[in-house]
Amino acid sequence: MGWIILIPSAIIGLLTLIYGYEPSYLNFNVPAIFIDEFFSDKNFVGLVDNNVLNEILGVLIILSSLFVAFSKEKTEDEYISKIRLESLVWAVYFNYIILLLSFLFIFDFSFLWVMIFNMFTILLFFIIRFNWQISKLKKGTHYEE
Amino acid sequence: MKNSIKVERAKKNITQAELAKLAKVSRQTINAMELGKYVPSTVLSLRLAQIFEVDVSQIFTLEKSDWE
Repeated sequence: MGWIILIPSAIIGLLTLIYGYEPSYLNFNVPAIFIDEFFSDKNFVGLVDNNVLNEILGVLIILSSLFVAFSKEKTEDEYISKIRLESLVWAVYFNYIILLLSFLFIFDFSFLWVMIFNMFTILLFFIIRFNWQISKLKKGTHYEE
Repeated sequence: MKNSIKVERAKKNITQAELAKLAKVSRQTINAMELGKYVPSTVLSLRLAQIFEVDVSQIFTLEKSDWE
């Protein structure tokens, strides 16, 4: 169920990001907090003109990856939960190692890309690692009488 | 920690899948325990003991490395 939303929204998200596609019919005045725009006053709360396409896609990607990541397996027992937790810790470590390296070696505007991707990579790494472990587990258990 | 799940299972003449069903866990979990890759929780240990109708300490035994 999560995959059905995740895959298309991730693809569309990536494409709109690369081509900077912002259809004008999605421009709205939206409520905001901490407003600090160029050529205007700083405000704590207020309305800003914004294209909501990236917000919609971001929310879809995050919600669907949460679905994919944390929906229960068919037989979710204590061993599977242990693998789940281990994978989550592993994903956090791995994500921060990558982030640390990007901090040190990626600068200026390129770093913006790192920040954009980093919003989703913890969940992504978790999903990859967890599913890999589970498939390894299922393959590794040869049938014994 | 060592365990004699495989031996007890042989005594009862049941497969991993059947034991998994009785203990309400996946077959992978039974397999991982028999291979010593996973140490079960106290609850699961007690469930196994009840299924095999023995004491928990008869299934699970400490090893020297468990004290290190």
